[in-house]
Formats: sequence, C-alpha cells, structure tokens
Amino acid sequence: MAAAEVREAPVQEEIQEWLADVEPGEVILEVRGITKRFPGVLANDHIDLQLRAGEIHAILGENGAGKTTLMSILFGLLQPDSGEIYIRGRKVQFRSPLDAINMGIGMVHQHRKLVPAHTVIENILLGHPRAGKVLNVRRAEEEVKALAEKYGFNIDLRARVWQLSEGEKQAVEILKVLYRGAKILILDEPTTALTPVEAERLLESVVAMARSGLGVVPFITHKLPVVLAVSDRVTVLRQGRVVARLETKDATERLLAEKMVGREVLFHIEKPNVEPGRIVLQVEGLSTLNDKGVEALKDVSFTIREGEIFGIAGVSGNGQRELAEVLAGLRKPTSGRVIFDGQDITHAPILERWQMGIGYIPAERVDMGSIGDFSLVENVLLNFYFDNAVVQHGIVDFDRVRQLTRELIVEFGVSTPGMDVEAKTLSGGNLQKLILARVMARRPKLLIAALPTQGLDIGATEFVRKKLLEAKQHRAAILLISEDLDEVMMLSDWIAPMYEGRIMGIIPADQARREDIGAMMAGLPVEEKAQ
Amino acid sequence: MWQFIVRSLEAATIFTLAGQGELVDQRAGVLNVGIEGVMLFGATLGFIAAKETGSYLVGFTVAILIGALLGLLHGFFSITLGVDQVVSGMGIWIAGFGLTTYIGSAYTGPLNMERLPTIGGLSIFVYIAIAVTVILWFVLFRTSLGLAIRSVGENPSVAEVSGINVQRVRYACTIFGSAMAGFAGGVYALSYNPVWNYNFIMGWGFIALALVFFSMWNPLFLFGGAVLFGLLWQISLNPQLVLPGLMSRYMWRTVPFLVTILVLVLISTEWFRTRWGAAKPEALGTPYFKE
Amino acid sequence: MSVAGYRIRLRRRTTLPGWEAALISILAVVVGLVLFSLIFVLAGVDPVAAYKNIFSYAYTNKYGLTLTLNRFVFLAFATLAFIVPYRAGLWNIGMTGQLYMGTLAAYAVVYAMGGKTSPKVPLNPYVVIPLMVMAAAAGGGLMGAIPGFLKGKLNVNEIVTTMMLNFVAFWWVAQMIKEGGPFMNPQGRGESFVLPYAAYAPVITSLGVPFTLILALVLAIGLDFVFARTKIGYQIRAFGRNPLAARYAGIDPFRIAVLVFVVGGAMAGLAGYHYFAAVPGVYKIARNYSYFGDLAFYGIICGLISQGSAIAALPVALLFGGLSVGGRFMQGKFHMKFGVDYALLGVLMITLVAFQFFYRYEVTLEKEEESLHVAVHR
Repeated sequence: MAAAEVREAPVQEEIQEWLADVEPGEVILEVRGITKRFPGVLANDHIDLQLRAGEIHAILGENGAGKTTLMSILFGLLQPDSGEIYIRGRKVQFRSPLDAINMGIGMVHQHRKLVPAHTVIENILLGHPRAGKVLNVRRAEEEVKALAEKYGFNIDLRARVWQLSEGEKQAVEILKVLYRGAKILILDEPTTALTPVEAERLLESVVAMARSGLGVVPFITHKLPVVLAVSDRVTVLRQGRVVARLETKDATERLLAEKMVGREVLFHIEKPNVEPGRIVLQVEGLSTLNDKGVEALKDVSFTIREGEIFGIAGVSGNGQRELAEVLAGLRKPTSGRVIFDGQDITHAPILERWQMGIGYIPAERVDMGSIGDFSLVENVLLNFYFDNAVVQHGIVDFDRVRQLTRELIVEFGVSTPGMDVEAKTLSGGNLQKLILARVMARRPKLLIAALPTQGLDIGATEFVRKKLLEAKQHRAAILLISEDLDEVMMLSDWIAPMYEGRIMGIIPADQARREDIGAMMAGLPVEEKAQ
Repeated sequence: MWQFIVRSLEAATIFTLAGQGELVDQRAGVLNVGIEGVMLFGATLGFIAAKETGSYLVGFTVAILIGALLGLLHGFFSITLGVDQVVSGMGIWIAGFGLTTYIGSAYTGPLNMERLPTIGGLSIFVYIAIAVTVILWFVLFRTSLGLAIRSVGENPSVAEVSGINVQRVRYACTIFGSAMAGFAGGVYALSYNPVWNYNFIMGWGFIALALVFFSMWNPLFLFGGAVLFGLLWQISLNPQLVLPGLMSRYMWRTVPFLVTILVLVLISTEWFRTRWGAAKPEALGTPYFKE
Repeated sequence: MSVAGYRIRLRRRTTLPGWEAALISILAVVVGLVLFSLIFVLAGVDPVAAYKNIFSYAYTNKYGLTLTLNRFVFLAFATLAFIVPYRAGLWNIGMTGQLYMGTLAAYAVVYAMGGKTSPKVPLNPYVVIPLMVMAAAAGGGLMGAIPGFLKGKLNVNEIVTTMMLNFVAFWWVAQMIKEGGPFMNPQGRGESFVLPYAAYAPVITSLGVPFTLILALVLAIGLDFVFARTKIGYQIRAFGRNPLAARYAGIDPFRIAVLVFVVGGAMAGLAGYHYFAAVPGVYKIARNYSYFGDLAFYGIICGLISQGSAIAALPVALLFGGLSVGGRFMQGKFHMKFGVDYALLGVLMITLVAFQFFYRYEVTLEKEEESLHVAVHR
C-alpha cells in the first residue's frame, strides 16, 4: 500500500521536463544485476539490460524464463532482491506502478488493463495527473486524437471499451501510456491476441514510435517472426538468466528458438492416421448471443466425424467461447440445431450431454473447470457424481473415486503432494492435466477443448497435445479451439478460421496454407474450399 | 395531507442518505450489507448523546463518527484482511442489532427535546439529501475522483496500474458510506422518529440496500426510489388517507417490504438485466490484493 | 512486522485442517466471552462472579438447565436453517420469518381441527401432533421457497429478500393473533389461543424437554452425513464453492437454490414449532413473540463458528443457549439493563468476523535471522 503516497505534482513535472530532451541513441534505461527469488525459484538471476532511445529491444523467453518477473520489476509491481535500475543514468527505485509511470515507463499488458464499462477517453484519463479535478474531456480528446494520428491509430474515443476489438483495445492502452508521457514502452506479448492484419498494423505503429525516439521493449514468447521483423536487438532469457544478446540481423528463427529452449526444438508432432468414422456432431445454422446480448455466433454449420480433430482457429472474442458453451449446453442458441450421435440435443440440459458422452474442457480452468477449495478427489468427482460407477442409491463411493483419482494422477503425471490437497494449490499446467484427465476418463465421444494449452509451458503443452491425439486414436470426435494457429495446423484434420462469429471456411489440413488461414482469421475473403 | 407529504419526504431523506453512502461504497467495489447495523448504532448513540448533552450537534456528530468508525472496521475486515464482505457486513448488522438493544434499553422512550427548525415546512435534512444527491452525481461522473472510484469498483487492477491507490480509495469510500449511514440513523432518531425503541430502524437499512441495487448505482435514480419508498412507508402507516378499508393495518405494514422484494424481482428480470445490468460494478464484493 | 527479534509473518492459507479450524473457532468464542465481560465490568459486576453465576444457573440449576436445553433445541434448528443454504453459498437470514410461518402453520392445524374452543377439546394426539410438526416444516419450507425460487430463477439477492420476509411474517403473526385475528386468544391480551391438552408435545420428563430434542440431534447428524457422503450433498457443496463449475458439471442451480432454502426454511419452521407449540409451559404464541424471532439470529453465529458443520454446531448452540439463559438470569439478579443476551449476540458476532482472518491466514513467529532466506511473496 505504501506506494502512491508520493506527492507527485511538482516532482512529476520536473521529471517530465528532464525526460523531454532524450536524444535518439542515448541509453535511456539500464538494468544491472536484477535478482529476484521466490520460494523455491530463482526467477531473475543477475539480469543486465540496456535500452537506447529509438530502438526496439525484444526480450525473448519461454513461460517461466523470468520475463513476467522482470516486467513486473520494471513496472514497480515487484521489488528486486538486489540489482539496480537506471533511467538516463540516474538510479531509481520503483515501489509501485505509479513510480514507474512517473519515470516515463509505460506498460501495455497482455491481459488488457482497461475498464470495459468505461469509455476510451475515460480509460485514458484514469490516473492521469493532468486530468484535472473536474474532468476536462474535450481538451483531452483533442490531445489524444493528435497522438493517435501521429502513430496511425484510429479509435473512437467515445466508444465503450467492451465494444472494441482486441487490436483497438491494445491501441487504447498504447495511447494511454503515451498520453501519460511514457518514453519507454514495454509491450507484453504484443501480437498474441491480434489477427495477422491487426498485428501488422501494430508493428508499423511500433516502428513509428521508435522512429520518434521512444525506447520500445516487446516481451515475446512464441512469435519469433515478429521479433525478426521489427526489433533492432534481442535479449534471450532462460531460467531467469540472460543466455544471449544479439543484433537482430545476426539472428535466425531456429537460433532464437534453440537459445530459448536450450535444446533443438521439434516444430512438428506426428499426427496419427485415423480413418474417420461416422458423423458424431452435426451443427446446423447455429446462432447465439453473448453476455452483453449481442449476436456473437452467426449461422455456424459444420460436422465432425469419429477420429477427427476439427480445429477452430481465431483470435479470442470472435464467438469461439459462445460456440463451445452452446455445444456444452451452458448457453442457449437463438437459432439452429445441434445433432449429436443422430439425436437432436439443441435443447438438452447440460447433465444429459455429459451422460451422452460429450466432454468439455473449458478455457476457464480456475473459474469454471475446477473448484479451488475442493480436494483433487472431489474435483475428479465433478465429472463423475452422476455416474453409477461411483454413486449408488445417492451415496458416493469415495473409495472408488479416490482410486480413480490416483490412477489419473499417475497416468497424466499430475505433480502434486497428494490427492487431498486443494485444487487451488496446483500450478496451471497441473490443473489443466487434472481437468483433461478427468474429462478424458469419461471416454467422451465428442471432446470440446477450448484453448487447452493456453498459458502452459512447453512441456505441459506437448503433453496436452499428445493426449488430444490419443483421444483421436480412440476415435473421439474433437473440437479444438485455439488461438495458436500453429497448434491448430499441427493437430487438426479440418481447419475452420472464425471471425466475428462466423466460420470463414472449412479447409482440410493438408491443403491449408498459413497465409490463407491468417487472412480468414482477419475476416478477409478467401476462395472457399468446401468440406 | 401536507403533513403526510412532509413525513414521506423525511423518510425519503433517510433512505437517500443511507443509500447514497452505500452507493459510493459499492461503486468502489465494497459491499456493506450491514448498513442496518450502522444505522442502529448511529441512531442509538446519537440519541443517547443528544439526550445526555441536550445538543443536537453533539448527537449528529456522534452518529456520523460512529458510522465512520464502523466503516473503518468494515474496511479493515474486508479490504485489509480480505474477509468475505458479506460476512463482515452481517457481523456489523448483528453487532449493531445486539449491542444497541443493550446500550439503548435504559433510554427507551422519547427524546423530549425541542424539534429542529424547518425551512419552508420541511426538515433541513431534506435539503441536505437533495444536495448530497446532486453533488455525488457530479463527483462520480464528472470528476477525476469519481472516475477513480468507478474504476476501482469495476476493475481494481486496472486502477492500480494507472497509478490509483486502490486500498485508499476503497477505505475512503467505505468510511464515507458508513458515515452517511450513521448520519441517516441520526436523522431517524433525532428528527424523524425521536422515540428510542430496540431495533427501531425496522429494516430501513436493508431497504436502502435494495434501493442501491434498484438505482443501478446512479444517485439520481436512487433519490427517486427513496422518494417512492418514503411515500410508500407513509401510506403503509396511514392507509386511510389513500386507500381506506382495503386491508387491515397489519397487512398494510407488510407492503413496503413486499414492494422491496417486488422491485428486486423486477430489476432481476431478463429484460432489465440486458438493458441496465452493465451498470453493476464489475468487482463488487471481491477483495483486491496487489499481485 | 517484527517484534523483539522475532518476525511476525502472515501467509495466505492453502489448506485448513479440521482441528485447526476447530481451534480457531473455540478461540473466537473464548475471546468473545472475554470481551463480553467488559459489559459486566461497565455495569459494575465482577465478570468472574458473573460467569460463575451464568454457567451454574444455565447448566447445574434444574430450572436453568431445562430452559437451556429448550433454548438449545431452538438454536439448533435455527442453526440448521442457516447451515443448509450456507453450504450452497447462500445466506438465509430469514429464519425468523420462516419460524413464524412454521408456527402459524402448526397453529392452523389445531385451529382447523377445532382446538381453539377449549383446552379440553378431545383431539387424537397421534394425529394432531404429527400433523403440527409436518405443517410447521411445510410452513417454514414454503416461506423459504420464496427466496430460493427468486434466487434460483432470477438471481435476486437472498439477503434482502429473506430479511424483508422477516418483517412481513412478523406482521402476519400480529394479524393472526391480534385485533380479532383467527388465532386470537378469547381473552384478548394480544396473544394466541392456548393449545388444547391433546396437542401438548410428548416430553422427556427427566429433562423437561419435548421430543424435538431428539429430532434436532437426528437431523443434525443426518445433514452432516448428507453433505459428506451423498450425491446431493456433493452437488450442494460444489455449487456453494464455485457455482460456475457446478453449472459446467451439469448441476442445476435453480434446483439447488430452491432445495436448500426449502430445507432450511423447514428447519426454521421446526424451531417455531418447538418453542411455541412444544416447550412445556408455553403452548401459545406470546405477546413478545419477536424475542424468539430475534433469538433465531444466533443461528447465523452458530453456523459460522461451526464452519457449516451441523454436528459441530450442536455444542456451540448448547453454549449459546446456556449463555442467553444465564444472561437473562443475570439481568434479573444484578438488575442489569434489558438485553444482555442481545449484547452477547453482538459481541460474539463481531469477534467472529475478526477471527475470519485466521481462517484465511496463517500467522507464524520466526527468529529474524532464520527468516532471511525466505522471501515473502503474496
């Protein structure tokens, strides 16, 4: 709580003035020997970093490499155990984000830090020292508009943030930190949630920002081409340490990947050959509304057969969640039909769907997929409490459930001190394994997997993918929803890019070209190849 | 009839004061379901203080201070310690109910002080309530402070990274809200119904809570709702003025409570939820800790 | 924070073993009682003497013990009324209204069978008493069904609805027993008619407590079994801990909300039956019926202290039953102000809220030097 007690007004202006005459090429930010330890982990181990004004300096690393910790330290969310931060050669200490903001650091988060219910301009003004006691919206609008034009953003400042696309939201966040006078821009996974077209536009803006003298630091996990396309220098982190510092012109994608992972990386996974069987799921003209009452799924039709993986590619927020929820019975469709195994289940209750053999792995692992206060045993029971194998005459046979849990923990390699610990103590990857284990133990005929590898480290990701392919071999029909185009292309038999609630086309995996699918994810028409 | 309207507006004043405080509190994301208890404390201690000193000023000061103190307590429990806000609020309500019954029992009976002066036949608190309503609307929707409060209630982590001290804003709003409830209790016991009896707030705190939900967190609507309930309460006490002979007097007494439920049902229907539901502070009731 | 070379550390708990939870609860009660002794000090009564008086009257005096046990049964039912919805994450603070409705329903049975006319009306006790019990449970359950239905169907805030219904039911009782209401005592007096002898509940003579004692114990044990071992119990708990996950797994939120409130309401209805129709010497809805309505709020505290376990709530209810009886006794003996038992309610509640902290955090003391290598991270 200590942080914001600093009396900003005069100091702030002084700093702004001091930062105003930064010259391109001078070292604006320097980090020396930053070390941060958490119980059991050395998250940052003597990290050194230099950022010049006018350059784009990418930080590369896997999940768990220490990127998030470093970012949090640079933004004042965490304090390092040792090490120093210098701005223009002046030693600084950030006790809170406010301290960092005041020293010219602007952070654009991967998980958007905007208030959806408020307007764009309200979000930009939030916490701004010059917003005035009584908000002077008109003046701010003019100033922000000028800024937006300078860097090629086109945003309606009066719109509510929830109405914007992901790319627009990101632009709002960038404008917000720029309007606040940031000289150093930290971008967390800048292109992850964007369509390829949006991403390209963003990178143009980023280059423009660097040209105008800002120091830009994108933190990146997967999108290596992005790094190569725009950055000037790259620093690679692994296990909390800097393992490489390169000029981008000396780097290749493969080299960077090897540095990141520390071994040669297999970019491909062997897809088993399974002869597709009869139709398991048939979706006809399905439409539905999202939570705001807006149509989010528009006239979607497709079929999935036994032993097939049907991959929905697309940036989140284009109706994938609504599609999964309608199929799982959590959301009512406004029109269309869902036929499962020859039966019309459009209006079937959720429980009935589980019993018929539909399994759902939700993207919301913590909020929907598990009960944090329950033990692992009781979490496994969540998909079995209705099953006669473990419940007789309304009484749960806990011995049986424990045995099942024990088996699943072993088979899926869930790392846990025991099965009586609460689920909230598991790491993201282990929790996902538990959910996957539980749902797959039902041997579903249809498996709906929403963002199954999101946020997992490489090991867990590989494991989850392998298990999905295993289910395919067991002749399950699988609906895979993913934001990761590589993942979709790697696993699926059919690829269906989704944009604004519509399926833009259904393409057999062996004929799919990355560029086409990328374009379709962005809503651009491509010659259709029917199923 | 004039008397009837005066009484209605005075009742509305109490709903407004308590409700506006709770509204600000909820806008910052903190739910205090215990305002009934805060009102009981404010009313009882304010009543005792005024009676002992013979001064209204002392009475109201005590009512407001005890309210602020309870707000601080609720803040400490729910903001700093992260105790479930409903548990903490329930605790404050039952504590208020239990302790004031004991503390006040020796003072059972009328206040016996000269009535406060009126302006244009209306209690000064009516004007205060109107002023509070307008000021709060302006602060919430037209100032930086209001933007900060609303952001803290919608998404505290966003506010935090924008440089807002979430804990401080929440504390301030909780203390303000509770002080307003204490004040409302004071107005109840010193002006509206200056006869102490145990549990004499009679659920008005809970009605005020319902009014906040009904208002869609807008001070102007809340004031409107408060006026309606002020009228309704007076009708339930004096049905002969409006609808003589419809129901027995006991049945009339149930009307405001039933209407409260009815109103909550109305605003919970699909129709309302899709249109107005967006107004609910997203982070209402959830504690916030820095990551 | 560090004190005298030791560092006080707070850690968010990841697990809370049962015995530790029990310990915290016991500590909360003890601290509450210590704080409560301030009230005696302020009233000029020696707290030690006060507690001696309270406990010896409540648990060793023959009359006191009977009063205590009867109150215990009442509180046990009120607690169950709170616990059942609480396990589903819902707040029932409407036990007051539900117990009024249960009571009215039980009296309606007698009224309908003509039991109002004279105490000697020849009714068959084997018919009328079971009917009264069932009616009380049904009346309370029906009253509980309202907030349950509204919560399940429209997500209406159950705290406000149950509280509003308390006031509604309060006036409904007045309507029935006062000013010409159907249950009015023929002599007026603002209370209900007295039950006929045939409707007197069977009493465990040695204790002076009606059979409802056994019913309460059986129900408490049964409920804990249901929650721990059965499918429906699991569904209720899952819904209580994460409604979204419960829905994902096919648990119908509407069914759960209605079910827990109907069962909870029925428990409250039984509390009403117990006090107004079964306790020897009462057998009527007295003028001050709201006192027992208020007393039911102890059920919230008992339920919170026992962390939702019905069996664990029993000793708590026995303690508070005794304290409230003893407190009343003290009030008379030492000429204290009215409302000692209300004050106890308030003090216990606020202590309990403060102690919620310990359910969530672990507090440890460590020597300064040793703690150096452990970084604190929340």
